[in-house]
Amino acid sequence: MIIDQKKIDEAIEIIKGHGGHGIQKCVQCGACSAVCPGVKAGFPLLCRALIRELLNGHLEENIENSSSWGCQACNRCTEVCPQGVRPQEVVFAFRRYQALELAFSTSSVTSQMNLYETGHAVFSDPKEARRKVGLPEETPTSAFNEEAQKEIRTLMDNSPMGELGLF
Amino acid sequence: MEQIGLYLGCNIPLKAPDIEQSFRKIFPPLGVQPVDLEGAGCCPAWGTAPSFDLNTWCAISSRNITIAEDKNLDIMTGCNSCFGVLSEAKHFMGNAATRKVVNGSLAKINREFKGTSDIYHVAHVLHKKIGVAKIKENLKFSLAGLKIAVQTGCHTLWPSDVYKVKEENSYYPTILKDLCEVTGATVPHYSRLEGCCGMGGMRSTDAEKSLKLFKEKLLSIKEETDADMIVTTCSSCFLQFDMSQPILKERGEIDFEPIPTFYYTQLLALAMGFEPQQVASISQIDRRPIIAEIQSEKRRIKEGM
Repeated sequence: MIIDQKKIDEAIEIIKGHGGHGIQKCVQCGACSAVCPGVKAGFPLLCRALIRELLNGHLEENIENSSSWGCQACNRCTEVCPQGVRPQEVVFAFRRYQALELAFSTSSVTSQMNLYETGHAVFSDPKEARRKVGLPEETPTSAFNEEAQKEIRTLMDNSPMGELGLF
Repeated sequence: MEQIGLYLGCNIPLKAPDIEQSFRKIFPPLGVQPVDLEGAGCCPAWGTAPSFDLNTWCAISSRNITIAEDKNLDIMTGCNSCFGVLSEAKHFMGNAATRKVVNGSLAKINREFKGTSDIYHVAHVLHKKIGVAKIKENLKFSLAGLKIAVQTGCHTLWPSDVYKVKEENSYYPTILKDLCEVTGATVPHYSRLEGCCGMGGMRSTDAEKSLKLFKEKLLSIKEETDADMIVTTCSSCFLQFDMSQPILKERGEIDFEPIPTFYYTQLLALAMGFEPQQVASISQIDRRPIIAEIQSEKRRIKEGM
């Protein structure tokens, strides 16, 4: 393998910039992968394996790999890591790098649109179901509150998400 | 009566309002009054802002938290994902630089995160604030002789350093076991107790991988406990157990009937005598037989006993 220090530095900077601050503490022990449900289910590029790729500077090479989206954010890895890497934060930092390059499944666009429009990532008309269980048809949440929706839209418009043309 | 902000999230008020109704029924008799957090939205879910930008995640979470701060209330949520997302955001907001940037965004909507509200899960409020003794006093039906397999779910367990209430051992959780045992039911251990159910990002990214993980957990429950029901304190785990058992059955991958599954407060509401139509009526798996058993006359707890 050719070691390209410039590429390695760039990859580390990007991951840290997206919240994966502990990446350089990793000693590749694999404790994280041993407890990871994603690894167990067969996603090839999570926890130790992903961190190794990133520490070798292989960021763009893995941009299309969907493993990071299989991460459950369960943080079993964070709990067991003896070095304080907080591997889940590295996985999510890589996911953020992918997302801002629009390298994610189109199916997840719906959640962003729902969040922007109703303030709920998961949305369906709840009125009938709520009536049947004896609750008011409208939830007290942002779903039926225009002022709340406007606030959430303002936060999203003024974020890096606002520049992606998803909503 | 002690008040607490009821943070609903998305799935519970929109898809499983019987779970929401179960909260509203059980807490007042137990001495805790849930207060609506008007205009609260998505926590935001892992697949949304947290997957794009850390500060946007913190801003949207903090907006929700400030609604409780304005009422001088702590927050209680029944959704594990919401609990994890809000707790982690609050943890990140402990960093002065993050708090400054995020409060800059919140200023645009006339809000400021102060960090004065603590975040609790429904199970924490029941176990730590109310306590099993008080729950026991309010039971109308005994679940003695019934077997429950418990599923705590991931996001109340890890990372334990960001949570207000912690299990003694997050890989051997006992809070939900205690809450179930107080009903009189038995709660046998099974080897995949702390295992992930496969819902969440995994389910939407690769349904087959998710089902594989789920099946391993389900078989451990069936073979090691032969439980009458599965009880969870995670609304996502609830959806996975309720939706995916019938899929495995239809495919011929399991040779037993799907095990009825409840969110914990549904089970408690039934044991406290509330109307099944209101507190436990939305599910794929037919729960009517087990509900009839739970609320059968022979199980009624006689006054003064």
